[in-house]
Amino acid sequence: MFRADPLANPEPLIKRVYAYVAYRVGDGPDAEDLTSETFERALRYKKSYDSTKGEPIAWLIGIARRCIEGRPPSLELSAEHLEAADHGELEDDAVRRIEVSGAMARLETRDRELIALRYGADLTARQIAELQGAKTNAIEVALHRALGRLRTHLEDDSPPVRKSQAGR
Amino acid sequence: MRSWRRNPESGLEAELRANRPEPSRELVDRLEMRVRTHGRDRRAGSFRVAFAGALAAGVLTALASVGGLGYAATGASQAVEQAKRVVHVQTVRTLHKSAAQDQYRKPKAKCRKGTHRVKGVCKRIKKARGVRFRRPPFTG
Repeated sequence: MFRADPLANPEPLIKRVYAYVAYRVGDGPDAEDLTSETFERALRYKKSYDSTKGEPIAWLIGIARRCIEGRPPSLELSAEHLEAADHGELEDDAVRRIEVSGAMARLETRDRELIALRYGADLTARQIAELQGAKTNAIEVALHRALGRLRTHLEDDSPPVRKSQAGR
Repeated sequence: MRSWRRNPESGLEAELRANRPEPSRELVDRLEMRVRTHGRDRRAGSFRVAFAGALAAGVLTALASVGGLGYAATGASQAVEQAKRVVHVQTVRTLHKSAAQDQYRKPKAKCRKGTHRVKGVCKRIKKARGVRFRRPPFTG
């Protein structure tokens, strides 16, 4: 029987998995390690992929989630990881990225997970609902609330950034 | 002012998408290479298995065409026979052939009147059909 290869076009999948992992654990070597681990597992269990159950990205994100859960909790993104960053010398894009990462780090795991799935892995609310075994409506509401909390954190973070921008 | 502050809902979402963390080119290339190499290895593995199968089938066909299969089958059956002979436990045979046995053996039961023995079994003697008893001619 013919089986579709879930990793036939790997590049966009690598980017989406990495973005998801980086939103969960922070951008850097840990995210790279977890992405590599995810793809290693995916290659090992490629036969278990069932195209009727969902798209390859959803399958890969499921593997990535298990990889993250299997790692020690110290690898989860925390605010301390980002506090050392000096905003003064960085480009505007990089500053924004750090700001967003800082705000993400302050979110609870569930909120962070939802935002990572929606904006990192670029999954639809329906796909997230299937992945988490919840209703699409419930996911949409939870996402809306998570975004609200993230916005609050971003507002809280803004004074030092404004100062650095004013200094330029 | 930041974009998410001007238009909080869509701005923040756009910001999250735009500032999505991206993997290094090196990681992408490495993983891409790994995925493609894995696929090639798998294909090479299945090709090897197919080649071995085709080779075995070819050898069998060649053997069959020159009667090699029959030869091999005979060889195998002979080997089995030999093995059986070696493994088989022989019982001690007692021979009852002696002069006394011949002389004093139990006599065979006689057949009843009107029967005779055919291959060790008593059978009725068939009367010849079509032959009638005729009185002999009077001679004096």
